[in-house]
Amino acid sequence: MLIREIISYLLMGAGGVFAIITVIGLIRFPDVYIRIHAAAVVLTISAVLVTFGVAVYVWELFLSTKIILIGLFFLISNPMATHSIARSSYQQKVALPRVRSVDEYADYLERGEK
Amino acid sequence: MKNSIVILLLILLSALLIFSFDFIPEQEIVVDSTAEHIITKGLQETGSLNLVTAILYDYRAFDSMGESTVIFATVSAIVLLLSFKTLPVSSQGLSFIVKNTFGFLAPFIFLFGLYVITHGHLSPGGGFQGGVILGTISIILSIVYGSAYDYRKYPPKTKTLLETGGALLFLFIGGLGLVLKGHFLANVNPLINEPGRLISAGVIPYINIGIGFKIGAGLAIIFYSMIQKTYVEEELKS
Repeated sequence: MLIREIISYLLMGAGGVFAIITVIGLIRFPDVYIRIHAAAVVLTISAVLVTFGVAVYVWELFLSTKIILIGLFFLISNPMATHSIARSSYQQKVALPRVRSVDEYADYLERGEK
Repeated sequence: MKNSIVILLLILLSALLIFSFDFIPEQEIVVDSTAEHIITKGLQETGSLNLVTAILYDYRAFDSMGESTVIFATVSAIVLLLSFKTLPVSSQGLSFIVKNTFGFLAPFIFLFGLYVITHGHLSPGGGFQGGVILGTISIILSIVYGSAYDYRKYPPKTKTLLETGGALLFLFIGGLGLVLKGHFLANVNPLINEPGRLISAGVIPYINIGIGFKIGAGLAIIFYSMIQKTYVEEELKS
């Protein structure tokens, strides 16, 4: 009983720390694409950790299954959404990256136009 | 002359309506105990655990029918203004990853919509909310896969059929109440009158299903009519 609560608090606390890191990244990073990187990776893992922590805290078959399903939905949908935003903002030239040494996607797009 | 007669009649009628409360025999029920009655006896009378659904589809079901008529009128007006004929053909859609991920997720969204509709009398939710979730699927399909795909898979005629079918189901249940119990939209024939089961609460679940399909199809039709308009304008610009 107590061990379960400690595990759930640890999971939720780790999720909270990752969420704070996400916000810092969103404010401090210079470019749209790097900010999207922060939002995609760190926010996903924070949401998944918080939902799993809540599932462990509740510890009841149906409720926990529902909460874990919400977590899996985050795991799928958040990277998809950020991928779509980054891709379309590059294609429509809304915000091009300032510095780039390798840009393979532009080559791909040019090949697609030919 | 004619006008004065009408005005006199109206004054008489309004006086009758104003003083009609004086003719009601004095009881405790009249003053501000409707809420109390619904809270204490709603479960017994309707069999629905969710009291909001009980009010929407039993005590004030006539109101809900008016609301769904309003949505029907809105859809008809939008379709009339932005006609069906100028169909867009945009089969490009978004990227490979988004298409595959959404193809994986869409059945789950459909299942969730059905869950919200059919459990309307047990838990929060109901016909309107679940219908919006069902309508979202068609909207996301036409964004992700391109509107041509959505047109091929769910043509506007099917959506119109679903919408009118939902409205007709509602009216049919209302008529059933009129025939079997004597007043419109009566809560007739509970198969299992045990609150908390999936099949309980009389006709409320069936009304929920009708409303759900009606709202979903209506929203999809509205969205579809609007995007075909904007698509044509974009074509003209470029």
